[in-house]
Amino acid sequence: MIKIKIRDASQQLFAWVSALITLAACFGIILFLLVKGHGAVTLEFLLTDPNPTFQAEGAGGILAPMAGTFIVTLTGVVIALPWAIATATYLSEYAKKNLATAYLKLAIDVLSGVPTIVIAIFGVALFTNPTLGFLSSMIEGVEGVNKAFGKSFLVCGIGMAIMVLPYMIKTCEEAIKAVPNAFREASLALGASKKITITDVVLPSARRGIITAIILGMGRIIGDTAIVWLLLGGSIRMTGQQPWWHLSNWLSTLQNTGSTLTTYIFLNSPAGEGNKPELAFAASLVLVVIIVFLNAAAGLIGFMGKVKEE
Amino acid sequence: MAKIFFEDVVKPTVFSKTKISFNLSALYDKLWEYAIFSLAATGAIIIVLIFVFIFMKAWPVFQASGLKVITTSNFEEQIRHAYFAPLDEQLWEFGLLSLIVGSLTTALGALFIAVPAGVGTAVIICEMSSGLLKRFLEAATRLLAAIPSVIYGLVGLMVVIPLISDRLLNVELQIKYLEYFQLNGYSMLAGIIVLSFMIVPLVIALSVDAINAVPRKYREASLALGITKWRTIIKVVIPAAKSGILAGVILAAGRGIGEAIALSMVSGASANMPSLRHGFVFFLTPVLPLASAIINKSQAISVPSIEAALFSCGVILLVICAFLSISTRIVESAVRRRQGLD
Amino acid sequence: MGNVLVEHPLSKTNGSAPVSDDGCAIVVENVNAWYGRKQVLFNVDMQIKKNEIMAFIGPSGCGKTTLLRCFNRMNDIIKSFRLTGTIKIGDEDITSKNTDVLALRKKVGMVFQQPNPFPMSIFNNLRLPLAENFPDLEKAKIEDIIVQKLKDANIYTEIKDRLHHSALRISGGQQQRLCIARMLTIDPQILLFDEPCASLDPLSTKKIEDLLLQLKEKYTVVIVTHNIEQARRIADNVAFFYTGKLVEMGPAKKLFLAPETEMLERYLSGKF
Repeated sequence: MIKIKIRDASQQLFAWVSALITLAACFGIILFLLVKGHGAVTLEFLLTDPNPTFQAEGAGGILAPMAGTFIVTLTGVVIALPWAIATATYLSEYAKKNLATAYLKLAIDVLSGVPTIVIAIFGVALFTNPTLGFLSSMIEGVEGVNKAFGKSFLVCGIGMAIMVLPYMIKTCEEAIKAVPNAFREASLALGASKKITITDVVLPSARRGIITAIILGMGRIIGDTAIVWLLLGGSIRMTGQQPWWHLSNWLSTLQNTGSTLTTYIFLNSPAGEGNKPELAFAASLVLVVIIVFLNAAAGLIGFMGKVKEE
Repeated sequence: MAKIFFEDVVKPTVFSKTKISFNLSALYDKLWEYAIFSLAATGAIIIVLIFVFIFMKAWPVFQASGLKVITTSNFEEQIRHAYFAPLDEQLWEFGLLSLIVGSLTTALGALFIAVPAGVGTAVIICEMSSGLLKRFLEAATRLLAAIPSVIYGLVGLMVVIPLISDRLLNVELQIKYLEYFQLNGYSMLAGIIVLSFMIVPLVIALSVDAINAVPRKYREASLALGITKWRTIIKVVIPAAKSGILAGVILAAGRGIGEAIALSMVSGASANMPSLRHGFVFFLTPVLPLASAIINKSQAISVPSIEAALFSCGVILLVICAFLSISTRIVESAVRRRQGLD
Repeated sequence: MGNVLVEHPLSKTNGSAPVSDDGCAIVVENVNAWYGRKQVLFNVDMQIKKNEIMAFIGPSGCGKTTLLRCFNRMNDIIKSFRLTGTIKIGDEDITSKNTDVLALRKKVGMVFQQPNPFPMSIFNNLRLPLAENFPDLEKAKIEDIIVQKLKDANIYTEIKDRLHHSALRISGGQQQRLCIARMLTIDPQILLFDEPCASLDPLSTKKIEDLLLQLKEKYTVVIVTHNIEQARRIADNVAFFYTGKLVEMGPAKKLFLAPETEMLERYLSGKF
């Protein structure tokens, strides 16, 4: 009897301890970044470009990495979103139960399990192909080599789109499937075609889920390092025509490389070349704040959906 | 007169007009469907392309090394030699065993910690807590899942590595193992610890879904048999949620195997073969998992043979992860079928 | 503890209900109950005699299931539930805070409206409560008890070849009898049935009714039913509830032949 009580108590203790460690880890990481990084986060830090230097003074800020994160996220989502909606629509509205559909589902499943580093080297293999050179730039001046550089914001955005595609498809599919059938029937009964029914009735009703998919995809892209490392490269500054923020240089900026917050952190950590951890902490803090905001936004949308249903 | 005019002229026009517009809209519909289908098909083709491209790039290494790719381990030296080899005398032979062992040990070690802890936390979230604590736990899980891996790497680097080198290492030990590798805190153990925190939110999230999906009637039946709440959770609820929990474990395994950045920052970055003969130093061995190897050696990717070696790391990762993805569904449905749930 | 175990299952002749002074298994006195602010039981008094089948009848939402679930404190898992009054089983007031709820539930078994075998093998469905409640039982003994209880529930011959297959693969009627067998493993004295035939076909219903008539030889049975014919067929005593009040109670024969209240008369003639 006592043995049983000890067993149950120790199991419960284990469960509680794991839960509390989870809680502590979450707050611990945020607190750690806050303590270590808050000092370096100034307006100047946010608004100046970084300089490659070994000293912390004169290392500049994170304007270009933040812009890089923004550009990569935007291109990734812009490419992935129509793709994901189309695939989700096809799966939930058109797909018949046959081998092709089963294969499509399996392909999405397998794609969602592919590590981002593998997607990154796939990007390397694909985009160094000279026919796709217009997405980055051609390697010039090396004799006998006909290769594209394979690193640019555009290339990186496409890699990101491939990475988030399966997640966004799943979220969109759930949202579309949650639209009651009565909506479709009502629309079809009024004489609307299937296309009109989908574009004007089903997709608007699923918009909350689609927005959630966008936020989810953004979160994943913002947090990724492996794809940025191999498809955007390790240069901390923008390498296109300067000034990069000038609107007339947009294409050059997209075709050239830069950094994102994640590679900035990696490069400035002891693991990278910069070895300026205080800057890495400051950038991490900024990154976590962005992630927390995205999380809160996703939570808010879910909450609003619940309120509306009730 | 007017009547004849109307019947002969107007009616046929109206008729033909509706016919044309009907056809047009049907055509639009069909085109739209094709457009959607082709976009969906692109997604399905991408995965094939990934396999093809990565296999093609890695092929020279497999051709030159054969089975040695997965049975020998001399990676560091081979990379060094390949790097300095002249362009027309590339060295294509690589042995990735130590990298595979590095991937498996870190991932399995992390699962060993994260699965019980994750299921335990899920039980607390679903069955044992309420109100503010429950909301906090849920939020913490979501946030842990969303924190980028590079931040895990950074925190691991600044917290876990010093902890290991202060608490577990001393000069004697370092000298003793100098002939094998340098003991400096960067180790399999650091990788396991960091990876555990990264995959635990995945295990929690999927276990929470699985536990919440267990119907109330099982709990009622168990309680009515005089079984305590805790034993009901252990003997009835968790077994009933087994299929979903297993799916989460497999998913977490895939995530662990594929993690590149965080591990490259803490696990040691040199491809040593951990050996059980070293006792607990087994866990302190600096290792280089497959995914991290791609990051670590990417500076040398312009050398064709090294590029091929890194792509063969990618091939092994891809095969393992595809196998895990496919087995998720198979395992899940096999368990459910055995339980009689579908 | 050890002694109890040796005594348990097969050696024990039967689980005759603990009897209070006046020969009743359950005595309900002045019970009122609420879900949140809504009162669902009003001043219920009743006595249930041992080795009899007591049937609760009445329209939906009349409180009969609520009262049934008070007898093994299953309402405890509903947070907003509140109860006043006393319910005595044996000499113990089971509504008290000090009641050992787990011991009570072992004494008072329950079968639910929906058959709810666990998603595991038939054998393990019975093994689980045995292993949990009698942790020192030997393996061979456990197997004996399982076979015996399956026989007691008139289901053994039908499923003896499938003992190690999933319990969810047998028919609904078989599942319900399996649940009865599972309840019997913990050696209860009082059996509660919450509309056990609500989701079953007539043939399965007949088998369960026959089983109930057998079970009352050893146990005290309380059954909630929507089916007046069922109550007529098997009940010794009947209690008629309406909107949370116990309207009429007495021997089944008398009640069905000559109902005293107009309310019951209307209910029996299907005017609700």
